Amino acid sequence: MKPEDLLQRLSPTHTQKCTVGCLVLDRLLGGGIPCNSITELVAESGCGKTQISLQLLLSAQLPTSLGGLSGSSIYLYSESPFPVRRLHQLSSSFPTLHNPLGKILTHPLHSAHHLFDVLSQLDSLLSSRLDSPSQIKLIVIDSIAALFRFEFENNPRDLKQRSGLFFRISSKLKEQARRFGLAVVVINQVVDVMNDTDGLRIGNSTCWYTSERKVCAALGLSWANCVNTRLFLSRQEERVAREVNGDDCFSTQTRRFIRVAFAPHLPDSYCEFVISREKIFGLER
Amino acid sequence: MEVSSLPISASLRAKLISGGYTSISSLFSVSHSDVARDLKISENQALEILRVASRRRGSERSNGTSSIVNGAQSAWEMLNEEKLLGRITTSCSELDDILGGGISCKEVTEIGGVPGIGKTQLGIQLAVNVQIPMDYGGLQGKAVYIDTEGSFMVERALQIAEACLEDMREYHGFLKRDLQACQVNMQPKDFLENIFYFRVCSYTEQIAVVNYLEKFISEHKDVKVVIIDSITFHFRQDFDDMALRTRLLGGMALKLMKLAKKFTLAVILLNQVTTKYTEGQYQLTLALGDSWSHACTNRVILYWNGNERYAYIDKSPSVRSAAAAYSVTGRGIRSSVSNCKRVKMM
Repeated sequence: MKPEDLLQRLSPTHTQKCTVGCLVLDRLLGGGIPCNSITELVAESGCGKTQISLQLLLSAQLPTSLGGLSGSSIYLYSESPFPVRRLHQLSSSFPTLHNPLGKILTHPLHSAHHLFDVLSQLDSLLSSRLDSPSQIKLIVIDSIAALFRFEFENNPRDLKQRSGLFFRISSKLKEQARRFGLAVVVINQVVDVMNDTDGLRIGNSTCWYTSERKVCAALGLSWANCVNTRLFLSRQEERVAREVNGDDCFSTQTRRFIRVAFAPHLPDSYCEFVISREKIFGLER
Repeated sequence: MEVSSLPISASLRAKLISGGYTSISSLFSVSHSDVARDLKISENQALEILRVASRRRGSERSNGTSSIVNGAQSAWEMLNEEKLLGRITTSCSELDDILGGGISCKEVTEIGGVPGIGKTQLGIQLAVNVQIPMDYGGLQGKAVYIDTEGSFMVERALQIAEACLEDMREYHGFLKRDLQACQVNMQPKDFLENIFYFRVCSYTEQIAVVNYLEKFISEHKDVKVVIIDSITFHFRQDFDDMALRTRLLGGMALKLMKLAKKFTLAVILLNQVTTKYTEGQYQLTLALGDSWSHACTNRVILYWNGNERYAYIDKSPSVRSAAAAYSVTGRGIRSSVSNCKRVKMM
């Protein structure tokens, strides 16, 4: 047993981050999604969780000189169908990649236990491809919340089982992240916060606002202990006035934000981002 | 007192020093077989060294009491020794104050709180601060960091080390007249070199590393802090046999406590919080259950109070319960901003 040389990890080839595919977002994240740990994206539906993760599947294939991981990725999804058309659309922004869709493996998930089984089976695939041109460098799970939200009852016995499974899945993911130098992204949903008094504060804010709802991340406190970095996405409808032919005309515009809820290496910060046809990108403040 | 003043042969003296036994006090708590093994000398030679060392100690002592059993200490001796023990600063003076001057060596301190409260930040800060040179009131030690969760980020450790160096340089500026000789010639990278980092991916690995620590630290006697971030993570996967879990955790706690005593080092165990169902309502409590709560000497709970982070001493044999605000900044753990304002207003 030997301690690890931290200086070696400091060299740019070892502290790997996976670019999100946009300089502004990368700056917010200190270079991108870190390898060797679990990053969670939390948001209500329609905020762009899946969009960001689809773009990640592509940017992970970029060479390391461009901030990517030069690797393939695995996309595990619980909410069918897999948005393959959108992925194809986004891939046009990555003209340098050769047949990018061929380097994305997908697998559907039925239940939380199924997820654990799939992860265990991945070990052999991950190690067989290690250090080969088709090495896998990113796992995305979309979404963890959907798997857990309906399978367990709200009684002490089920809750205990549920949190045990959280830690088992997280431990497996972290072990793989570490062994194979993977970036792991899990997607989580939100639940409404009913009253102010018993809101447990996790991270940089007691509760989060999205579409004028007050929400917090789903799956509770135990799951929050299972991820290393939590990013919160929110949306906000705004009425904007525009002048059309001399008349004021109102239209609604959706603004989207991404904020660091907690992370071992990032301060509390946020940035606005836009989902366009071609790509997802952050806005300079 | 240095071992160089002991009336023993020069070669033995050199062996002692190269083995890390630089002060006479470092010979008090070890057995002759340990010394024999460490220095690769015969047991008789080791016994002789210890006899000479204890005689020297006897002549030093003002009241001349000698211990009843080898290794036993009177409370008076313990008090004197405790005064000499260094403490590791947290870089937040209010937090240091309620801890009685910082994290104390020779003890196991458990620190718990919700995700994002700053447990890992405090862990990294202590791994850096333990290295502050003696001229700056530090321990000039090294750190062992056992990472069970994968949250240790090298880039963050480097940031905190850089800020720590800046503070030392500033301090050096104040004391320039007195401390001509000691320049700060450390580099941020030196701090990283002195953190022995172990990443463990299962509870069996965690137990193995803890068992290995005794050997590792006896080879690296300048380790002054052991940080486990977190003690909990691998023990929260469904353990069907809860009695086994309790035994494993208890055994680990005992080993760590022994380590703290034997090598005069601080052990920091970071813990998670969980909700506990009592009297019809859910309450926040540190994880791992009731029996675990007896395992650590000190217990510090980190929590949010409005927009401020607070640390609360939940259990300590030597200081009273108290709370202090702290903040997590780009430079690491620091005093809370509102505290500074209050001071300025007065």
